[in-house]
Amino acid sequence: MKTSIWLASPIAGFVLFLGAPIIVHGIEFGYTVEIEARGYTENAPNPARFDSNFAISIEPEFKHSFNGGDTLFTFTSFGRWDNNDDARQHIDIRELNVVHVAGNWETLAGLGKVFWGVAESNHLVDVINQTDFLEGIDGEDKLGQPMLRLSRAFDQSALTLFALPGFRERKFLSIKNPIALPCEVNNKPEYESDDGDNHVDYALRFSGYRGIVDYGFSWFHGTSRDPIFNCVSRRIPFYALIDQYGLEVQTTSGAWLWKLEAIRREFDHSTAADDFTAVVGGFEYSFYGMSDGLFDLGVLAEYHHDSRGNRATVVFQNDLFIGLRLGFNDAESSEVLAGAFIDRDDQTSSFRIEASRRTGKIFWADSRISLEAQAFSNVDPGNISFSLRHSDFVLLSLTLFF
Amino acid sequence: MPFVKVIVKTIIVAQLGFLTLFGLTFNLAFAQTAEERGTEIAIAADQRDSGWKHITADMEMILRNRAGRESRRKITNRQLEVDGDGDKSLSLFKQPKDVAGTAMLTFSHGLVADDQWLFLPSIKRVKRISSKNKSGPFMGSEFAFEDLASQEIEKYTYKLLREEACGEGYQCYVIERIPQYESSAYKRQITWIDKDQYRNIKVEFYDRKDSLLKTLEMTGFKEYAGGYWRADRFEMTNHQTGKSTRLNWKNYDFESPLDDQDFSQNALKRLL
Repeated sequence: MKTSIWLASPIAGFVLFLGAPIIVHGIEFGYTVEIEARGYTENAPNPARFDSNFAISIEPEFKHSFNGGDTLFTFTSFGRWDNNDDARQHIDIRELNVVHVAGNWETLAGLGKVFWGVAESNHLVDVINQTDFLEGIDGEDKLGQPMLRLSRAFDQSALTLFALPGFRERKFLSIKNPIALPCEVNNKPEYESDDGDNHVDYALRFSGYRGIVDYGFSWFHGTSRDPIFNCVSRRIPFYALIDQYGLEVQTTSGAWLWKLEAIRREFDHSTAADDFTAVVGGFEYSFYGMSDGLFDLGVLAEYHHDSRGNRATVVFQNDLFIGLRLGFNDAESSEVLAGAFIDRDDQTSSFRIEASRRTGKIFWADSRISLEAQAFSNVDPGNISFSLRHSDFVLLSLTLFF
Repeated sequence: MPFVKVIVKTIIVAQLGFLTLFGLTFNLAFAQTAEERGTEIAIAADQRDSGWKHITADMEMILRNRAGRESRRKITNRQLEVDGDGDKSLSLFKQPKDVAGTAMLTFSHGLVADDQWLFLPSIKRVKRISSKNKSGPFMGSEFAFEDLASQEIEKYTYKLLREEACGEGYQCYVIERIPQYESSAYKRQITWIDKDQYRNIKVEFYDRKDSLLKTLEMTGFKEYAGGYWRADRFEMTNHQTGKSTRLNWKNYDFESPLDDQDFSQNALKRLL
């Protein structure tokens, strides 16, 4: 098992602790166990690739509040075993931090997770944590980031300062995985900063709301979380120094949500890459109480633009996302999410559907079952997702919440 | 909210003054209409329950389907009274565990749309959400969002129907109230309010077609610090589906202080 530097021993300790969850006043301990089976539905062009995998993961979480609730300690870790992909076998600390509140001030020290942004189909401004693509390719999973965070709250807004010592590099799936990049990634990345992965990054964010408008302005200076990398000319991931300015706005009026995120990324040295601007914007509209209150239906559309156009190193340079969200009003909270991305330049399309529902008690745990499927069609040889053209899959998972 | 109350009260006082004058001039008996009397009682009930400033309480929700199968939810709640506007509330979901850690922050504004944010703990995201879904069921239960929302005077018009015995030996005002806010599932509600302490004892909910949809009954009243009464148990029965939901309230605390910073987007991220 490949174990990252992020402390293996506390997790072993936790595993010994596993038993009935503890809920004492001011202390909470629980863990989730997820069992997943994935099958790839097409024959891969590369026979070395596997066509199914099975995995079990565990995520223990411990929280302790003291000082009359003004101080909160959180420890969340994660570990997975996978029968076919060694890269997915890993242990990580998601959170290990202390938050302290004093009046309008809040401080956090330790490994933390932060989310910025308003859009659903891509998270452009969200720059603090490294994305964990080992868990899923939707970019929603993040690695814990070492940080010192200081926040001053005002009436309807907050100003937050971050000092981010220590960098966490992106991990890549093993080449045998059908959803992996089509080449082996060198695991000794290069950094633009002379301090390598010890460069201290800084960030600042002002966010709040006024009436129906929620907004956020942010600035990040430091090592980019996105490596510059490709399978042709640059197989060693390169992490450049950047300044990134972010804007996020959402208006919420009746059943309409309008959303906009934009970033400007400037590289400290123009030799590293071109500066660029990227935007995602769209709406979400909800129909409530459809079919005599049986379900609610949300309709989403978001457009993605990147000023680099076809030179962009991301999938979303001129793409449209359409999504449906069906939330059933049953006791099992059944839910169906369906989405499609269409590249407006070359018509490359990808589809994804996720359905889940609560499934009662298993042992003493609450449980939820989920079915997910993803497919690509019309993939253009010039599209970044060309290597994924034969990676359609179906994923069945059962999650137990202890 | 007191601002609204003052307006409503002023209108009522003006109307009463006018009617009294009218009565004297024409030598008529006291001529208060059933609507005025109903509104007066609603205001009195609201005033009896004003000034609590902040509350925390735990709620256990037991959903029962027609076959008697049960499922449970646990939620901790905090509320902050706001001068001149609707209350602020924060709900943290504890069970079922697939939603544990999810929290909802609501700033209610009476007839104007509420501001509402949802915290998703797995990705640490605070998301502004639409508050338009008033009539939808809360967590699959027989309680609609509007049934659990902050109750401001201006959200309804009132009419005193009669006075009668109700609940566990109370004498009650029976008041019909008609929702004035948008997207309500109800044509009207009938509430039973006890004459002694102005507590809500029972509510009947009539759907848009005016058929009886649900009945809510409150029992196990206790008096808390400051003279505020709260029921331990809410029983909601849906007459059209045969399903029911019971709320058991525990650990009411009117004393531990809370302020605006306990009802902020930052606060959503540091709950236990």
